[in-house]
Order: sequence, then structure tokens, then C-alpha cells
Amino acid sequence: MDFIIRLQHTAVMDWFRESGSLVGYPAVLFLHTLGLAAVAGISAIINLRLLGVASRIPLAPLTRFFPIIWAGFWVSALSGTILLIADAEQKLRTPVFWVKMIFIVLALVNMQLLRRRVFADPQLDTQPLSSQARLLAATSLIFWVGATTAGRLMAYIGPVAGLSS
Amino acid sequence: MMNVPHLHLILNHVPTIGTAVAVGLLLLSLLRRNTELTRVSLEVFCVVALLTLPAYLSGVASGMALQQMPEVNAAVIARHHDGALQSSLFMLLTGAVAWLGLWHFRRVARLSNLYITIVVVLSLLTFGGMATTATMGGEIRHPEILAEGATAPTAAPAWLTAVSIQRLVLDNTWVWPSLEALHFIGLWLLFGTILIVNLRMLGLVTIAPFSAFHRLLPWAALGLGINLVTGMCWVIATPEQYMTNVSFFWKMGLLLLAGANLLYLTGFEQPWSIGANEKAPAFSKVMAVSAIALWIGVMYFGRMLPFIGNAF
Repeated sequence: MDFIIRLQHTAVMDWFRESGSLVGYPAVLFLHTLGLAAVAGISAIINLRLLGVASRIPLAPLTRFFPIIWAGFWVSALSGTILLIADAEQKLRTPVFWVKMIFIVLALVNMQLLRRRVFADPQLDTQPLSSQARLLAATSLIFWVGATTAGRLMAYIGPVAGLSS
Repeated sequence: MMNVPHLHLILNHVPTIGTAVAVGLLLLSLLRRNTELTRVSLEVFCVVALLTLPAYLSGVASGMALQQMPEVNAAVIARHHDGALQSSLFMLLTGAVAWLGLWHFRRVARLSNLYITIVVVLSLLTFGGMATTATMGGEIRHPEILAEGATAPTAAPAWLTAVSIQRLVLDNTWVWPSLEALHFIGLWLLFGTILIVNLRMLGLVTIAPFSAFHRLLPWAALGLGINLVTGMCWVIATPEQYMTNVSFFWKMGLLLLAGANLLYLTGFEQPWSIGANEKAPAFSKVMAVSAIALWIGVMYFGRMLPFIGNAF
């Protein structure tokens, strides 16, 4: 963690945080939002489908959307890492940051469970969904709501990097 | 060069006259038992609801511009604002139910009397509110239209005024962050639906007909509704952060186009008729690409409010 805090005080990070350039902090913050919208958004709709919404959409072809979820995840993770380094001292000490990390880990584990236990089933669209599949869909929704809420609260607890107020 | 108060003087006619035209069309279509005309009238409600947004926002900006003029009565402006806020909420509800009626028509291939009844009732309330609001707006610059000693009636419940919403948002530290969390959940609900539905159109999944994906659209509408309400709370709380903010101007402009694009998916026959294992026609694909681009643009300029503009 000291290593991350040392990175925060490098020249690149000082420029990133304080230059006011639109390709610095604002661009990375936007990418973080875009990644989140893709990951949580597509996951949420697939979860809603598992819970019975729009049941005429076959489930198996929805795995085509998984690469987009992962692309969104990596955009979010990379941009999030940069945002974390830029404000490491503050964020690493904020409990709500760790709450967000826990929700994201839970959501990722949940996504893998859905992939292995639900979407890997060759009879996915011919047999009724198991209650385990519905449970995983519900917990996934809860984890993304939790991660989003915790992420938003980070901007209101303690000073915020990139804003000179 | 047109300024914002001028824009308001043009747009302010849309909610009043637009609602009247749409109600007239709707009633006429029911009399003639013409389903096609009924659907057109519901679409007009959706478009009027969309255009109510810039009418309302340009009004907030005009109010700020007028505050600097000593000859204008601030209390009259405040009353006009409260009337506009309440009738805009009714308009938003009318548009939402009209859209749901159109969406439901696709599901069952006939119009539901329930939705139509609700739209008629809501739209009459909206029209009443808009007409009262328009009168109060006229009094700002034309006190001569007031009968001597009379003031225009206000139907405003005290909790639903611009000032009470402003106090709710600014006096409680938990409200702003809660609105933020809701706004982002609304954002991903909306954008997730937009991605899945429009990527179907672009051929990522073609095994199911478009009609199966059409069922998802109320979740986009829910996300949009959450974000319109949370967004309006912020505008009412701190109008100075948005009304001179170039990012906000772009965000709202792109939002209107994106909203019209969303209406295309339900209103037009072309997307609906795309069957299983069928590719979408070129125009639908252009609309799909523009939907994704427009919503990304809305998010971009939302994120840029503090950076390109002056918010926070």
C-alpha cells in the first residue's frame, strides 16, 4: 500500500490530477462510468431475464454478451486503478472504498458461478430454471446495486481528487 | 442570436398546445374507432413529454435571468415555477403511460382501455396545470391580464414546490449522495437495456426475433424515469450549476435525440417486424448505432458537468 501511495506523488499522477486537461482525470472518470454502465447494465438485464422478464429471449445465446461485460469490466478496472492511485492516501483509508471492493469481488464470483452452473448447462432453454439460478440472479443484482452505491458514496466521503474546490 | 428566455417563449407553447392537440387526436380516434390514429396520438404525447423538458429547463434559466431585473415580481415567477414543475411532472407521467400503452399494444396487438383511460385523465390534469401555469407565466411580463386585485389560482400542494424540493436536497446531507446512487443505478439499467436491444439489431444475437427483446424496453424507461426525477431534483436545488453550463446544454440536446430514438423502437413497424434469424434492415442498424452513440454522449456530458462546465 505504501507503494501505491508513493505512486500517487509521481509527476505523471500530479499532472493527471491537477492539470485540468480533459484527457487526464475527466477522461478516465468517464471511462470508469462507461465501463460500469456496460458491466452492471448488461449483467442486470441478464439477471432480470433469469428472474423471468422477457422470457421469450432464449438464455443460451445471451453468453454472446459476456465478452462485452468483460470488456466493460477491464475498462472499469484499469480506469479505477488509475483513479485509485491518483487519490490513494484518501481512498485507501475510506471504509466505503473497501465496501465497494467487497461488493465487486462478490459480483465477480457470482458471475463466474452463473457462467459455470447456469449458462454451461446444455439444457438451459429446454428445462425450467433451477431455484439456484434465480437465487444467483437475485444476489448478482444486489451486489451491483451495492457496488454502485458504495462507489457513488466515495465521492462524498472525504475530499475528492480532481476537483479544486 | 437567440437567447434562453427567447427559447423559453417559443418552447413554452409546446406543453400547452401540444397536450391539447394530443388529447383532441386521442378523443377523435376513439370516436372514429381508429386504432392507428390512437397510436399516433399516444406518440404525440411522448414527443410533447420530451419537449416539456427543454420548455421547463429554459424556464428555469429565464427565471434566473429575470431575477436581476428589479421591475419583475419574484413571487409571480416562483408561482409560475411551481405550476410548471407540477404540470411537467404530470406531463412526464402522461408521456410514460402513453409509451407503456404503445409498448403494451405491441405485446397483445390491441390497445388497452386501461392505459387509454389513464392517459385521458392524466392529460386533462396536465392541460389544466399547463394552462394555469401559462397564465401565471404571462403575468410576469403582463400584469394587465390580471383582473384587478385578483391572483391566478395555485393548485400547488406545499410539499411539491421548487423551494421545498430545494430545501429537501440542500438541507439534508444524505439526499444528494442518495440521488447520485439512484442516478447511476438508473444509468446502468437504461444503458444495459439499450446495449442488449440495439446489439440484437446489429446482429450480435439473431436467433430470437426483435419482438422478444422489445419486452425489455420498460426497464430502459424505468431507468430513464429514475434519472429524469433525480436529475430534476438537482436542477431545482442548484440551478446555477446547470443553467450556464455548456455540458448540460449538450447533455440535454443529446438526451432529446436519444429519447426520440427510443420511441422509434416501439412506434415504428420496421424494428418490430424483424423475425427470428433475420437481420435488421440498414435503417434500423443506423438507428441502433446512433442509440448507443447518443446515450454514451449523454453519459459523457453528464460526467463533464464539472470539467467542461461549471458544476460543483
